[in-house]
Amino acid sequence: MIALALLRFLARTPWSTAMALIGMALGVTSIVSVHLVSASISSRLDGLVPGALSEYSHYLHRDKLDTADYLALRKQWRAGALPAITQLSPLVDETTTLEGQSVRVLGADLLARPPSAGAKAIAEQFSWNGAWVDQSLKDQLSIPINGIIEAPKGTLLADIATAHDLLGWRPNQLSYVGLVLSDAFAGSIETAEKLLPGFGAGFPSAKPSLDLAPGWQLVSTAEQYPAREFGKSILFNISALGMLALLVAWLLIYQVAVSWLRRLWPVFDRLHVLGVEWQQLRAYFLFSIGLIATLAAALGLVTGWWLASWLLGMAVPGQEINLNLDSWVIFKAVGSAVAVCLLGGAWAFHRSQQEVSHSSLPAILTLLLLIAATWCVFQPQTGLAGGFFAIAVLSLAASQTIAPLLTRLKRWASMIRGSYLLRVGVREALWHPAELSVALAGLSLAIATAIGVALMVDSFRVDFSQMLDHRLKYDLIAQGDKTALKTFANINKTATLADRIQVYRNTDIRVNGLSMELDISRMDAFESSRYGYSRSLASNGILLSEQAARSLQLSVGDALTVAGEKMTISGMFSAFGDLKPKLIVNDRSPLADALAAQLQVDSVAFKSDRPEILVAALRKQFPALELRLQSDIRRVALKTFDQTFAITTVLITIALLVAAISVYIAVTTMRLNRQTGRQLLNTLGVNRTEQLMMNIALGTGLGLVAIIIALPLGVMFGWILCNVINPRAFGWTIELQLSAEALLRSCTWGMLAAIAAGILQGGDHEEGAFGGR
Amino acid sequence: MTRPSALDVKNISKHYQDGSRQIDVIRDLSFSVAAGESLSVTGPSGSGKSTLLNLLAGLLELDGGDMTLALKDKTFSYRTADERSRTALRRQHIGYVYQFFNLVPTLTVLENVRLPARLNQQRELERHAATLLGEFGLSDRLHDFPETLSGGEQQRVAVARALLLKPPLLLADEPTGNLDAENSNHVADLLFSSCREQNISLVLATHSTEVAGMADTRLHLDTQLPLDTRSQDRQSP
Repeated sequence: MIALALLRFLARTPWSTAMALIGMALGVTSIVSVHLVSASISSRLDGLVPGALSEYSHYLHRDKLDTADYLALRKQWRAGALPAITQLSPLVDETTTLEGQSVRVLGADLLARPPSAGAKAIAEQFSWNGAWVDQSLKDQLSIPINGIIEAPKGTLLADIATAHDLLGWRPNQLSYVGLVLSDAFAGSIETAEKLLPGFGAGFPSAKPSLDLAPGWQLVSTAEQYPAREFGKSILFNISALGMLALLVAWLLIYQVAVSWLRRLWPVFDRLHVLGVEWQQLRAYFLFSIGLIATLAAALGLVTGWWLASWLLGMAVPGQEINLNLDSWVIFKAVGSAVAVCLLGGAWAFHRSQQEVSHSSLPAILTLLLLIAATWCVFQPQTGLAGGFFAIAVLSLAASQTIAPLLTRLKRWASMIRGSYLLRVGVREALWHPAELSVALAGLSLAIATAIGVALMVDSFRVDFSQMLDHRLKYDLIAQGDKTALKTFANINKTATLADRIQVYRNTDIRVNGLSMELDISRMDAFESSRYGYSRSLASNGILLSEQAARSLQLSVGDALTVAGEKMTISGMFSAFGDLKPKLIVNDRSPLADALAAQLQVDSVAFKSDRPEILVAALRKQFPALELRLQSDIRRVALKTFDQTFAITTVLITIALLVAAISVYIAVTTMRLNRQTGRQLLNTLGVNRTEQLMMNIALGTGLGLVAIIIALPLGVMFGWILCNVINPRAFGWTIELQLSAEALLRSCTWGMLAAIAAGILQGGDHEEGAFGGR
Repeated sequence: MTRPSALDVKNISKHYQDGSRQIDVIRDLSFSVAAGESLSVTGPSGSGKSTLLNLLAGLLELDGGDMTLALKDKTFSYRTADERSRTALRRQHIGYVYQFFNLVPTLTVLENVRLPARLNQQRELERHAATLLGEFGLSDRLHDFPETLSGGEQQRVAVARALLLKPPLLLADEPTGNLDAENSNHVADLLFSSCREQNISLVLATHSTEVAGMADTRLHLDTQLPLDTRSQDRQSP
């Protein structure tokens, strides 16, 4: 009988039921879409490391490494002197040119570990002298191909001996040793990564202490593959932003549960008077809200998948998108909807049943968390996780201030002046902390996230644009075919239309065991100024990118030995978007002479008053070269920048939408179950236009309260993103610009979301649980 | 001498639809109330008292018959009026007092009473609001919010608000139903005497025979009789 009454209630209040379903489904949609986008990007980034190397957690390097070094290490390990190591293998890894193709040759002990997992066999007859290649090399080489492996373009995997033959190396030469180090937290991190793809990058990498012989250099996977690490860091930013979206979605789901209970409570109260036990009533309540949550989870999974496809299509246009609705995302979606609903509902039921005594424990806990968060902000070793922990704690603290703020503002409510109807609207926003504080916390968080990210992106764009202004001092850049570039670089006089020609040579190099890019060019005052260094670079001077300086833990004035040459660090420069740490030296330095054999011409830059004519002349003379005008590079760079961050805009929009729905549900419930005087005003002759004005005033009031909290919170988010998260994630600093436009834009969207929630009229005609005729 | 009627109700009917079933709440009801006169409406629950008041307020549409209200310069006919004009009528010419929830909780006592003046842009009446509240013994509660007032005080504020514009018609739906005997008498006295003094027609729905007896005329609505024989009796005390 009671169940029937509840089901009838659901059916007789279709608008509210639909809004609860849609609201919850939107929350799940945001959770699913963020998960799928992050998982897809994570999978692409994992693809940057060949499968054969993915199992290693660290690598050991040393100068002129050979098998004797490896065997000595192995002996030490077998004797039990290196207990942290659970597995080790010799590896060859070098890029060479094979049959005109640039090929990365990987050599591993395939006798001990054949590349069976994930490899597709294609050879009719297996050959130890053959290789496994990625799809791009399948028909490009004459050596026997045993199978296709999942690896970056241009990768070849072979047995060590075959790799030696292909590279022309002496038989005992090795690149490095792959290690698997035991990590007590590896399992937990792996599970966290499954639940929150990209989150693993936030955990500080373990720095195991190994009792190694002198000369060995221990390098983590992150340091070995900075490109992947760079991507993972971006992913972590998106994941963390998604975490805030998740938090807002949870608040919405909780809000729906609370609103649902408030609508049903008068019925329960009277049924209890009639002798129905609270436990039974709670079971019916949880059943009804659980039913809606399950339906919303199913709906959210479908719409989330669709949204993720659309987002990825926008972020990586033209690429194939395969999104997998695996058990983890289903668990996360259903778990979020049902668990938050049931737990939140049960808690709300408990609170309604009995007066919950006000305890100072939450405030003390929040204070302690704030102290911990402050410590994390100023301790770089806490890594990205420390930065985001600070953001999470600030969010928690801010959401706890909503109810006391509303109570305080209510005391000042009689001071509000202006039209009486506007007073009613604005005061209504302050009058009901119990109903509105959860929804307002969600809205504040969404606006604060929008402000924080907008400040970070705007500040980043300003710095990026300034960097482009510095770097793009040339009118034309030639890249591409190395042979043509080399030829061209040697006949400078050909380019008579150019006022200045700058040739850039580069090579990959290991410095203190770390892989870096070394650029060599004529570093006169003009060229040096591109890197923020005002003088000619001395022959023993070297410029470091922020990433390189951070990796090497060096600063200006320190000495650095590169390829046996002792250099002095003259300056540092920003290198947003560089995949590798970068070093720059003068072409007259002894280091340039020492590395002359391995340097390759990477690009040539021109300064000219007539760049278009120069382009036409060069195209004719060197058709194989890629020629790009400075204006085009700038435009493409900024377009790529905006495209990268477009995904964050969409995520923020979803968070704002979810928050607006949450506020709408709270306002509707408040009006249905509270005596707000709306019916009375109708009796007094207040017309529809005036009611709309009151609703706008209510929305504005809600928006203002949310903005009061969100504005300082958002600025703090922005500061943490610029000064804590980005330096830790990418190794670069961004100067926080308190852009009025960014603040205004975010607040305007937040205010519009609140006003929309206030003026939505649907459902107002429905009766509350005890609506009278 | 018989005074000209301010409110004329002729053969009005109102029904509700419940699925395929039609429930006649009011059928062929006629009466009139002169300016300054009072009419009490009594009857058991469900007899249509509140529906009648809502029809008079223009909150509901008539299904049959007509009602007219004499205004200063014209006569308002409910039958032909659309929702907009009925809203305007309510705003400018009708005062209303409910049993519960009479005040806007987010406006102070003074703001609640001034509200009709503001809505009708009659600023000169705003000053009168404080005087009226003083006369009703509420001069020390002007800036308080309704939640801090007792039930009797809230009803007195509601009466003050309903009287502020000196409307030709004041409707009261169980205005004393929620009050103790002392407050009930106080509020009823205020209502009847003020309406009489200000020449306002009062239509009051009540269960209290005592309050009903204070009216010039009584109308009893009855649901106990079968629909076809049901009558709406009108009698003078």
